[in-house]
Amino acid sequence: MYYPDDTIVAIATALGRSGLGVVRLSGPEVVGAATRVLEGVVELQPRHATLTSVWRDTEKARRLDKVLATYFPGPESYTGEDVLEISGHGNPVLLRQIVEALVAAGARLAEPGEFTLRAFLNGRLDLVQAEAVGDLIQAVTPLQARVAFDQLEGTVTGVIGEIDAALFDLVARLEASVDFPEEGYHFGDAKAVADEIRDLLRRTETLLANAQSGRLIREGCQVVILGKTNVGKSTLFNRLLGAARAIVTDIPGTTRDLLTETIDIEGLSVTLVDTAGIRTTADTVESEGVNRARGALGVAAAIILVLDQSRPLEDEDRELIEETRTRDRVIVINKADLAAQWAASELAESGRRVAVSLLEDTELTELRQALADMLWATEPLRDTPILSNLRHIGLVQRASTALSRAADAAAALTPEELVLADLQEARGALEEVTGKRTSDDVLEKIFTQFCIGK
Amino acid sequence: MDEVDVVVIGAGHAGCEAAYAAARMGCHVGLCTLSNATVAHMPCNPAIGGTAKGHLVREIDALGGLMGTAIDATGLQFKLLNRSRGPAVWSPRAQADKKQYGAWVKRELTRQPGIDWIIGRVGEVLVEHGRVVGVALEEGGKVACKNVIVTTGTFLNGLIHIGPETYSAGRVGEPASHQLAESLKALGFRWGRLKTGTPPRISRRSIDFSRFEEAPGDEQPVPFSFMSDGISRPQILCHLLRTNERVRDLVQLNIEHSPLYNGQIAGIGPRYCPSLEDKIMRFPDREQHQIFLEPEGVDVDETYVNGYSMSLPRDVQEELVHALPGLEDAIMLRPGYAVEYDFIQPTELYPTFEAKRFEGLFLAGQVNGTSGYEEAAAQGLLAGINAALKVRRREPLVLGRDQAYIGVLADDLTSKGCLEPYRMFTSRAEYRLLLRIDNADLRLTEQGRHVGLVCDRRWERFQRRRGRYERNMERVRLTTVTLENGQRVRASQALRRPDIRLQELVDADAIELDFTKTEGRLDLSSIETEFKYAGYLERQKAAVARGRRQEQHQIPKNFCYEGVAGLSREIVERLTETQPRTLGQALRVPGVTPAAVAVIGAYVSRRPLAVLSEKA
Repeated sequence: MYYPDDTIVAIATALGRSGLGVVRLSGPEVVGAATRVLEGVVELQPRHATLTSVWRDTEKARRLDKVLATYFPGPESYTGEDVLEISGHGNPVLLRQIVEALVAAGARLAEPGEFTLRAFLNGRLDLVQAEAVGDLIQAVTPLQARVAFDQLEGTVTGVIGEIDAALFDLVARLEASVDFPEEGYHFGDAKAVADEIRDLLRRTETLLANAQSGRLIREGCQVVILGKTNVGKSTLFNRLLGAARAIVTDIPGTTRDLLTETIDIEGLSVTLVDTAGIRTTADTVESEGVNRARGALGVAAAIILVLDQSRPLEDEDRELIEETRTRDRVIVINKADLAAQWAASELAESGRRVAVSLLEDTELTELRQALADMLWATEPLRDTPILSNLRHIGLVQRASTALSRAADAAAALTPEELVLADLQEARGALEEVTGKRTSDDVLEKIFTQFCIGK
Repeated sequence: MDEVDVVVIGAGHAGCEAAYAAARMGCHVGLCTLSNATVAHMPCNPAIGGTAKGHLVREIDALGGLMGTAIDATGLQFKLLNRSRGPAVWSPRAQADKKQYGAWVKRELTRQPGIDWIIGRVGEVLVEHGRVVGVALEEGGKVACKNVIVTTGTFLNGLIHIGPETYSAGRVGEPASHQLAESLKALGFRWGRLKTGTPPRISRRSIDFSRFEEAPGDEQPVPFSFMSDGISRPQILCHLLRTNERVRDLVQLNIEHSPLYNGQIAGIGPRYCPSLEDKIMRFPDREQHQIFLEPEGVDVDETYVNGYSMSLPRDVQEELVHALPGLEDAIMLRPGYAVEYDFIQPTELYPTFEAKRFEGLFLAGQVNGTSGYEEAAAQGLLAGINAALKVRRREPLVLGRDQAYIGVLADDLTSKGCLEPYRMFTSRAEYRLLLRIDNADLRLTEQGRHVGLVCDRRWERFQRRRGRYERNMERVRLTTVTLENGQRVRASQALRRPDIRLQELVDADAIELDFTKTEGRLDLSSIETEFKYAGYLERQKAAVARGRRQEQHQIPKNFCYEGVAGLSREIVERLTETQPRTLGQALRVPGVTPAAVAVIGAYVSRRPLAVLSEKA
């Protein structure tokens, strides 16, 4: 539902493959929302970039990210309303959390193209410009392209439409029994109704379970290469990339800053991050590089920990093994072509390990497969439609919650009109995804199906 | 008669409520009827109420209207429908003694100061400069007035069909109004043609009732009116029978003689009240259809064959009556018939029932495309109130969809218009759980008092009842009760469990509530509902709050949709026709998308109108 006068929020930049990411907020409550989520912001200076942090929670206890916030008061803004742009680090997980914090502060997720719509409505763009800005889908990997295509083709809305149609049928029968109690019709006993609702509930739950993967496909994820100095991180980075992007030397501490590139791992758009080798150092620049490596670790979906088998394991290795124990990780045992100074079995951890020689092994098929297996939380959904839009996921979640209440209520013999209240809420949420409105048609359906009336 | 404040054309259920309300509010009313023998007449079912319709009657009563007290005084059999479900969909229904009902209403109107009867036929509504100035009677003479309420039911170009016979009539035995129909069309109103039907009547003396299943009413009748202390009249029986194969064969054999099926009737009939022809032809697999025999009054021989409405030729109707098991020897007193009539598209009206085209012209009832006495009465009441408020130069009364079924009715009609006769259903009310018969007075009586319709007696009674209700709510919140497992909790908490009923707590003296004898049952359910279904009610209230935001966005009168960028041709046309008052109403206009409403919202709320017209 569009309300023209509330405050909307969305990620404004491409996801999953940039150093910076921008979250944009537009509407009358921009200033209020900003003061709730930004650290120490008392007054926003128009068109001044302010260095601040975003709070992770409403209690303002933990910070999400350091950001630059820029406030553009309406009407001199992109949309013509008050606008706030928050530039954070270009990690989709982080950006999504910033969006979620703003939603918790009262903003609403923008509909597709809604910023542009508002800009158009407020006379900031003419129609031709507005169309030019329109939703161009830029697929990086073939799988992203397929999901985008699915959404264009309406496969997802098709599946939701099927659930909605079944729900509609049930609602019509229940409404008929409420509105026509004296017709001598028997519209189904409570247990059968509860079973029908549970079946619909299962179908929404399946969609939601697949949604996790859908987000992964659309937004990609970040994988950090970690290890002490000179174990071959940058070589691995270049190999996975297929280009000599990082400078590789024999000198420990060559890589000092974070290097990021996007690669395709089994259809996933993965932002690969090369980091400075972890060691204690007096060099100020390198020391900052080590801090950044640890920072990148915090937001990564998965970690590649590189160990050197030609040198004995050191404290730094063991610390890293310990530090990443609970994370999704692949341990790469490098220099397998040289004389081994320790056996892989010495690593107490089980889990994924891949032995490679980066000098010889150029395909890295096994590593790629191990990464893909790990990143796919569930089966790589070959032909299952995938919900990937955060707004759609939220709506299907709402439908699912309402269906769950309705199933319990029906099983507990709660009167139909109360069960219907939840079923109608579920229908409303599903129809917001499909953009269809069928609410007035219940009576139509009843009259077509049943001979009703005296 | 020189000049009156309000002329009401027609004394059916809409007209009677309209005249009564306006007169109670201090207006001088001219009530115009063809005959004062058919005041508040029931040409179809001799019954008031039913699902959702019963809600409307409770609301009419809560506002101070007539229908609730009228049926309580003259009802023959009362039944609370949907008793097995929750209190939100309990709906009262009663068989009426139709002669006594009409006589009762006529007596009330005659007693009411300020009403002058005009026996005659209005041929024209007179307007000057977009404003009503009076009415002209067909037989000559004019009545000057600034407000007219048209409640002509099925009379506008009414045409009755009984098989091949057709004749002009609004109801059987009463000639139709052609001049008035043409006068309204000449004023530019969009109109359409609808159809409704009624079954044959048979002589009670010729029926062997021992052959039927008895259909009794409730042992303890629940009255419609908040003013009634109970129903004292003895209750009568109805009877139930079912159609058989012979009925089906007869209909199929004679279908080409049915005006509904041979093209003789063009008007659209109600699907929820199908004719026998439709039941048989559209649902041929259904072996039986229910038929109820309903007496039309204690001293009336005519018996209504409910469920058997048809427009087949007379001789076929006789055969069909005799085909029903138990009615082999029944005497058909008069045949059923179909009536086609013109109606005015209600999108021509504001939710006050005043026409958008002409100030002071109100339309209410079946002329707006509705069916049912209750729907008509509800519109008449609101039209009468608003005409009187206009005379007094006061703000109009508009009820919201979250306040009353009457609000749903007014909004549906004026936003969506009619494609078939409109009947109220509980499923039309999205906030159904909040619009219950037990709280109709809590929702509406204060508004009725505010406009000046609720008399002192009703107001005092209501205040006592509201005081008791609030005290009882407080007691449920504060009283601690002991559960079976020995746990002690507040009664309000205990009631959330499905197995704990307030009645049982009261019976066990676990809680002491303050009720009068007569209203105990509904009050009890009202209070229990508030706690037992608190979660549902809160969610629905939250939905109301969300919906209100859109209702608050007013769209200016005569807003120019042509000038709004990005709207489709169709949407511009629909909205220009309907002229919704708020964004919420615009969204309910068929075919209008949420995106279109967002666009309009932006124009309405953001841009100064000067800028708008520059752009346009």
